[in-house]
Amino acid sequence: MIEVANLTRRYGALLAVDDLSFEIGRGEVVGFLGPNGAGKTTTIRILAGYLAATKAGRLVVAGHDVQRDSMGVRRSIGYLPESVPLYPELRVEEMMRFQGRLHRMDRQAMRVRIPEVLERVGVQDRGKQLVGTLSRGLKQRVGLAVALLPDPEVLILDEPTSGLDPIQRGEVRDLIHSLADDRTVLLSSHILAEVESVAPRVIILHEGQKVADGKPAELAASLGGGGHVAVEVMGAASAEDMSSLIGSLPGVESVATGERVGIHQSFEVRGEGDLREDIGALAMTQSWALRELSWQRPTLEQLFTRLVTGRGLDELAMPVASGPGAAPSSKPEAGPAGLSADAPVLASGLELSQGPTGPSALPLGTPGNAGSKIIYSLNPFDRGASRDLSKPVSVDAPPEAPAEGLPDGASEETES
Amino acid sequence: MIGTFVVARRELSGLFMAPFTWIVLLVVLFINGLLFSSFLYQTQGNVTATLSESMTGPSFWLWMIFLPALLSMRLVAEESRSGTLEYLLTAPVSDAAVVLGKFLAATGFLALLWSSSLIYAVTLDYAGGPPDWPAVIGTWFGTILVSGLFVSIGMLASTSTSTPLLAAFLSMVSCLMWIAIPFLAANIMAYLVPLLTSTAAEQAVLAERMGSVVASMDALRHFSRSFQMGVLDTAEIVFFLTWISFFLFLTARSIEARRWRG
Repeated sequence: MIEVANLTRRYGALLAVDDLSFEIGRGEVVGFLGPNGAGKTTTIRILAGYLAATKAGRLVVAGHDVQRDSMGVRRSIGYLPESVPLYPELRVEEMMRFQGRLHRMDRQAMRVRIPEVLERVGVQDRGKQLVGTLSRGLKQRVGLAVALLPDPEVLILDEPTSGLDPIQRGEVRDLIHSLADDRTVLLSSHILAEVESVAPRVIILHEGQKVADGKPAELAASLGGGGHVAVEVMGAASAEDMSSLIGSLPGVESVATGERVGIHQSFEVRGEGDLREDIGALAMTQSWALRELSWQRPTLEQLFTRLVTGRGLDELAMPVASGPGAAPSSKPEAGPAGLSADAPVLASGLELSQGPTGPSALPLGTPGNAGSKIIYSLNPFDRGASRDLSKPVSVDAPPEAPAEGLPDGASEETES
Repeated sequence: MIGTFVVARRELSGLFMAPFTWIVLLVVLFINGLLFSSFLYQTQGNVTATLSESMTGPSFWLWMIFLPALLSMRLVAEESRSGTLEYLLTAPVSDAAVVLGKFLAATGFLALLWSSSLIYAVTLDYAGGPPDWPAVIGTWFGTILVSGLFVSIGMLASTSTSTPLLAAFLSMVSCLMWIAIPFLAANIMAYLVPLLTSTAAEQAVLAERMGSVVASMDALRHFSRSFQMGVLDTAEIVFFLTWISFFLFLTARSIEARRWRG
């Protein structure tokens, strides 16, 4: 239905579309994806006959050559530009009739078709309203109705959901879904979730070039590998030990040690298929407290960002933890007290109140200076360790703790 | 061709749905009416002189500077700004049909405005003062051609910018220049001719040649020479139609250039 080969478009020195080629078959719904300025709108405008191509090997829409038979193309497509151009001084029905006349529809056909189309987009009760007084969402629907009126084979929608609230966006999405049954639809968006939910196939553009083309799931698999299992766990062992334990499971290819949030350590496990059950069983045998065990697929957004910025998917999926405690190389801290003899217990959120320079080292006037409260944690994995509430508890990375243990006092001082 | 009429029809209906149009109609007709009655008193009931004065006098040319500019500024510049031009230029109508349709709508509106003089003439005829009908009809026809010329200039100005106000200003200046060509040309020639020539004979020839070029562009003169007399001279009609076609052609080209400029 749409064939584009070696399409190039320049705006002066700016290269907007760079040797773009793709094909869209009959009945396909294809999403054009790309950041602002990627060339989506330019390509769409060229296909709709609004802009001329600087150079094109082949440009065919609905069987008509865009460059030679522009009228034929215009007659057989429904095009809705991003700005939803409607004449504000006309009523909805008048706008529809104008479109009908432009498409040489006769009076009888219009009388039947206009209410039909208005009903299809759900604005049948707004026929007499002035277009200028419609809300953004309604205007979008009327714009769609105008594009649909001549019953085009190909529907080209430029950012059909921009400027809409989430509910309206959902409605327009459903509408496009229902339209897609019997015609070819090309829509553009820079909102990825949008395209993912509407179009079974996406073409990702960046700087005027096609960087990816395919089904979102396939793209995800080929670009970022499959999904991974996100694990967040609290256990007695060190992060390193836990990581190697998980890594020893059959089918696991890699374990990335992620951030440490409070007392919980997160991991990202990649391997063959879904490893959740195995990891769950491991956690059970090791008496780890599981906080999260989920199957994560890379979203189109991550892929997109990866494609566009060239950064690794792992980086994007899970930001590298900043604290040394989270890095696999540094000596991990032991959760419960007394497990590790030389290293002081510095795990964030879990501190011993008996530190030699404990509360007294705080400057005068610090809240909670009067006397440290000792509470007993109800967390069974805490093994009865107490927590000093008079001290600020860091939730993020623990303070600088060198790999080799320092004397107790020294490390306590660095903290207070 | 159908496309032209579809576009013209929408332009006209759009025009008559805008309050701007009605305000313009009210003000122009009111002032024209006042002027007409004052002319009638001044000429002591000379019907033909009064009609001629009210249809072609300085007031007419003053309106001709403002009205076509105000009408044509919205034709392209405003549509370009609101984005509806993209809709129109991707609809199955040619650029020429769009340009022609818009031109016909704006000129038609002005024709309607100037036809108020016909009502005055009919009224006077009925009241017992028969006007010189050929002159009245001819003048009316001429005003439509002049309106068309200025609308086409305004449309060209309108395609060159997407700021309607700037388009209107450009159009006003252009129309003013067009009217003022003979006066401006006389000034320029007074400087230019002695520079280019050495002998008095040469000077005379060059001045005459340049004068004839200037005269051929002088809309005022073309207008008063035939239409005002009640003569529909084909040469004069061709003069106006040629210039109108020229500007409409440039307008269509300018719109097409947008497809390349983006």
